[in-house]
Amino acid sequence: MLILGIETATQQVGVAVGGHEGVIATFEVARGRRHAEILTPAIEFTLKQADIELAEISCIAVDVGPGLFTGMRVGLAAAKALAQALRIPMIGISSLDLLAFPCRHTDRVVVPVIDARKGEVFWSMYRQVPGGLQQVAAPTVGPVDDLVADLLARSQDVLCVGDGAERYRDEILDGYRCEISGPAYPPVGALVQLAHARALREEYLRPGEIEPVYLRAPDAQINWSVREERP
Amino acid sequence: MTRNVVPDSNTLVLGIETSCDETAAALVMGGNDVVSTVVSSQIEVHADFGGVVPEIASRAHLQALNPVIARTIVEAGVDESRIDAVACTYGPGLIGALLVGVSAAKALALAWDVPFVGVNHLEAHLYSAFLEDPSLEFPLVVLLVSGGHTMLVEMQGHGRYRLLGQTIDDAAGEAFDKVARFLGLGYPGGPALDREAMNGDPDFVRFPRAMSDDPSNLDFSFSGLKTAVVNYCRKHPDVGTADIAASFQMAVVDVLVAKTRRAAQRIGATGIVLGGGVAANSLLREELLGACASDGIRGFLPSRAMCTDNAAMIAATGWYRLKSDGPTPLDVGAFPNLRLPLVDA
Ligand SMILES: [Zn+2]
Repeated sequence: MLILGIETATQQVGVAVGGHEGVIATFEVARGRRHAEILTPAIEFTLKQADIELAEISCIAVDVGPGLFTGMRVGLAAAKALAQALRIPMIGISSLDLLAFPCRHTDRVVVPVIDARKGEVFWSMYRQVPGGLQQVAAPTVGPVDDLVADLLARSQDVLCVGDGAERYRDEILDGYRCEISGPAYPPVGALVQLAHARALREEYLRPGEIEPVYLRAPDAQINWSVREERP
Repeated sequence: MTRNVVPDSNTLVLGIETSCDETAAALVMGGNDVVSTVVSSQIEVHADFGGVVPEIASRAHLQALNPVIARTIVEAGVDESRIDAVACTYGPGLIGALLVGVSAAKALALAWDVPFVGVNHLEAHLYSAFLEDPSLEFPLVVLLVSGGHTMLVEMQGHGRYRLLGQTIDDAAGEAFDKVARFLGLGYPGGPALDREAMNGDPDFVRFPRAMSDDPSNLDFSFSGLKTAVVNYCRKHPDVGTADIAASFQMAVVDVLVAKTRRAAQRIGATGIVLGGGVAANSLLREELLGACASDGIRGFLPSRAMCTDNAAMIAATGWYRLKSDGPTPLDVGAFPNLRLPLVDA
């Protein structure tokens, strides 16, 4: 079984391929804002270097967010289209799960934090259990202060990871004693590893069942200001 | 490497359109034979806001696109292995909305190993007439009127355009939406105002026809007209909405038809073609056909479904562009402010 993983929920574009033999190839570029330009060539390149044909792929894994909406959708649209065209199933994984995954060997609480812009962050919490990590707090979006308050309320040893933790390092460390390290962006290799575990349990979805995790209602702003003209 | 495709009359192109508030897909053979076309409109999700909300549009496109493509293929009754190329609008439009279509289209092209073609949405509107009548002869004058654009274009040949005039402020469709909202007629404004005007007197008020004094000037302006309607209503609160709607519509159509006619005379056009969402307006259709009849030139009005945003026009344009320019590289993105490619003379 070969899985193609696509990750575009943050500044980064990531593509990976792997399966039973582990992660075979990964491609990661974190330059922001050019997800649509980079992604398709990145898929071609990654498969070519791994000497794998698209026709050999049996599952598409995708980071479903939370993250930056426009970037997220580039990966989701491409992943869903690939699955549809190749008639293969999909697996969706949270960006927060991906960030926490490399920290699974710590006994501290792992808190992935993703920059949500506008002074806010997405975060959730995980703790070690036999065989991996378990989410102990549901994904949330809010101001950095709320995150710090959330951390204080738990009074445990904490490891914060992600570009949100990096960006608001001072604010977080000012309010709470913890360590900030680990990956800045969701590692795409982890996407293939986590998807592989789910694929073994046949936890597949059809493209129509893949739900993006926005956590934030759309900004209902229209392009012209006509409202005030009405008497 | 993708298969090299030289388009001919059997070339089947999948078109995808997500630039604004319609999620659409279509299969078109040989550049003008529409095999199937599916449009999923988001009008209802934007109605509460009285306009298209970009983030809501992007979310809706992502949700609707796969089923719309699947339905297009099923309705065509062809196997997807028959598809020779994937064409998709890559501008102009809402950036987040465009990116959903472009990303999906490039992925489909990669999966099927066929060329991808990025299509200019404005050019596609010019091509919608060829879908229904491939025998149209150049030079043509195209009046492109929609919520985002109002332009008069000379179409000298396939891919050869010259801009004759355009709006200097609001687009005609924008004026319709704003006045409809001011009159409390609902959203989308164009069809609502069209219906209301049916019961009104178009000569009840003579609203200004902006920029029509100088016959050589083919540009438009609609923001003053909108203001004139607002001022008139404040001064005459008792005048019925239908008469206002009819008089406003008459003013817009008068200007559009007069300038289009002048443009056709100036370039010696063989015919006049209408495109864009406002081209579905019944008064505009009627008046333009009347003008063409009295000037003795051909007036071509695509069906209402081809005037508004659809993917058949994208697939058709994709066919022509594949023929003239070849495939678009897969490292292309979306261009929210893309302009019509123009020739100098
Ligand atoms: Zn349009």
